[in-house]
Amino acid sequence: MASDDQLLQRCFHDWMAIQEQELKDLTQALDQNQTDGNLTENACAQLTHKSLNSFQEYIDKRAGLSRQDISGLFSPLWNTALENSMLWIAGCRPSIYIRLTYALCGSQVEFQLGETIQGLARGSLAQVSATQLRMVNDLHMRTIKEEEKLSSQIASLQENIADQPIAMVAKRLSHVGEPSGEVDRALDEHEVSMSNILQEADKLRLSTLKELLGILTPLQGVDFLAASKKLHLCMHEWGKTRDSRHGRK
Amino acid sequence: MAGVCCGVVAESESAAVVEQASKSSRRRRMEILPFMLVSDAAVSSPLENGRKRQKLDLDLDLVLPASPRDCDNAIENSESNQVNEDREINEGLNSYGTVELVTETEPPKFGLTSVCGRRRDMEDAVSIHPSLCKLSCEAEISSDVHFYSVFDGHGCSHVAMKCRDRFHEIVKEEIEACGGGKSVDWKLMMERSFERMDKEVQESTTVDDKANSNCRCELQTPQCDAVGSTAVVAIVTPDKIIVANCGDSRAVLCRNGVALPLSDDHKPDRPDELIRIEEAGGRVIYWDGPRVLGVLAMSRAIGDNYLKPFVIPEPEVTITERTSEDECLILGSDGLWDVVTNETACGVARMCLRAQKPASPPMSPASDAAVRGGGGGTESSDKACWDASILLTKLALARHSADNVSVIVVDLKKNQQI
Repeated sequence: MASDDQLLQRCFHDWMAIQEQELKDLTQALDQNQTDGNLTENACAQLTHKSLNSFQEYIDKRAGLSRQDISGLFSPLWNTALENSMLWIAGCRPSIYIRLTYALCGSQVEFQLGETIQGLARGSLAQVSATQLRMVNDLHMRTIKEEEKLSSQIASLQENIADQPIAMVAKRLSHVGEPSGEVDRALDEHEVSMSNILQEADKLRLSTLKELLGILTPLQGVDFLAASKKLHLCMHEWGKTRDSRHGRK
Repeated sequence: MAGVCCGVVAESESAAVVEQASKSSRRRRMEILPFMLVSDAAVSSPLENGRKRQKLDLDLDLVLPASPRDCDNAIENSESNQVNEDREINEGLNSYGTVELVTETEPPKFGLTSVCGRRRDMEDAVSIHPSLCKLSCEAEISSDVHFYSVFDGHGCSHVAMKCRDRFHEIVKEEIEACGGGKSVDWKLMMERSFERMDKEVQESTTVDDKANSNCRCELQTPQCDAVGSTAVVAIVTPDKIIVANCGDSRAVLCRNGVALPLSDDHKPDRPDELIRIEEAGGRVIYWDGPRVLGVLAMSRAIGDNYLKPFVIPEPEVTITERTSEDECLILGSDGLWDVVTNETACGVARMCLRAQKPASPPMSPASDAAVRGGGGGTESSDKACWDASILLTKLALARHSADNVSVIVVDLKKNQQI
């Protein structure tokens, strides 16, 4: 029987393996498109769909595991210190997707200024239209609002630790760390609330991504997913390099 | 959900009001509002009162994100349309809006984009009112006055929003108070309008708006005393462009390929502003750039009560005679101007206005919005303004503008058939 930690580790490693595989598929499709221009909207939609499905599966798995070991999910041992320093409710901020979209859609604007006007460059994120930009902005505002809501919920939960009953039990104890049924019950309850927030946050991440991919054209969506997965995997590797620089395993 | 159809008819004597303001948009703060006017010859009605009535389709959006929130807004819109509250017209921006303009000349052509960008707060606001009112001259042929403005808030968004909701009304009243004739003293009219706008901002933060405010500062003093907004207001008449400015948003005229700034940013280190501030007893302190009392990085603004009299709401006004060489007018917040020079902006806008081909790619879902309606001269020109505003916004984002970005592009070429 695997320990909770082993289960969490496996969940994460499976997820990273899927990311790598999907990145490979997405890159291959984009490369192929570069050479023959034959990537159909349908093929793009399939890739995006597959990616959203695996995200859904991952967060479902996390939801189950969060009932067993929420603290483990909030301070993951499998991440590098660099990644952990950037976590928002055990994952990335949903608004980061919009930032990445802006970065991608801006990246070629200077170069394409001439081309854009001629309407030559097609399909890439640099070709985001006015309507799309308005919708992305709309999504941005709503996502930030939702993020702020969850942030303030988690703030309340964190502050609860210094309040009744946990803080008062700690004060009363004759020895530091003495077991207390009352504290155990309170911490269990706290963990349930944390698990609920994690699930809300995961839902927001998925819904933001879904909505964003709905705004982008299928090809832009593939572009975006490839860039985001590559970023994620790169951060993990760069984090490892930095960890070893600081003498961490 | 696909676009919900809201037939909005504004048939007041003052012609159409294309308004950015509404309760729902205020609640969600400002969003990007790119739209264009497509004149639809097929539905233009016969002459009435000697004026040609032209029906304009405000073709604002085709596909909406499938969120219940937007559905709510859309429903709100259609309801509000039924009760004929033209205040809500603009939420047609989330759907289709049809605005009927009464005009005896061709409709103004413009495009606008306003995005939150890399900031987490949206404090920019944009307000456009084509055919705000009419000027009558001796021959009793009236001519339209068009209103374009950009407001960039600081501290919170409520002053910029208030400007967006009220500025054009004040300007209209002031123009009408001048008799609406050719004799309007534009400079005085603008100065009065800015003074009134600033006064309203002060009053509103003390009285009624508190109850339904949902902004960050919640209109609590003293925080809301530290809130203000830039204002760049452009009035375009058939023969003049009047620009009044307060703060560091900017209006630039593109004339025969040359960029002519029609406003001069109010920065605390501008020599004459520095003297004015110091003579009023204030100081400019360098704290992440020059700032009035080390706080505000501009020397004039609407609002900002606690920085008065060093920071003043008095505008500088320029009056420019229009020429046949005028190509376009660009209004933008500093999110644009911080990273894009006047010359580059004019170059980009000019390129878009001159481009004959549709610029959006076939795969983009929005591109058909622009080509719908046949792709005749007027349509593509309007689309061109729209393309120019979006391209300038994308350029600002690409150049790492850290602020909200708002851009208005107005086509100034007269009666040209492409």
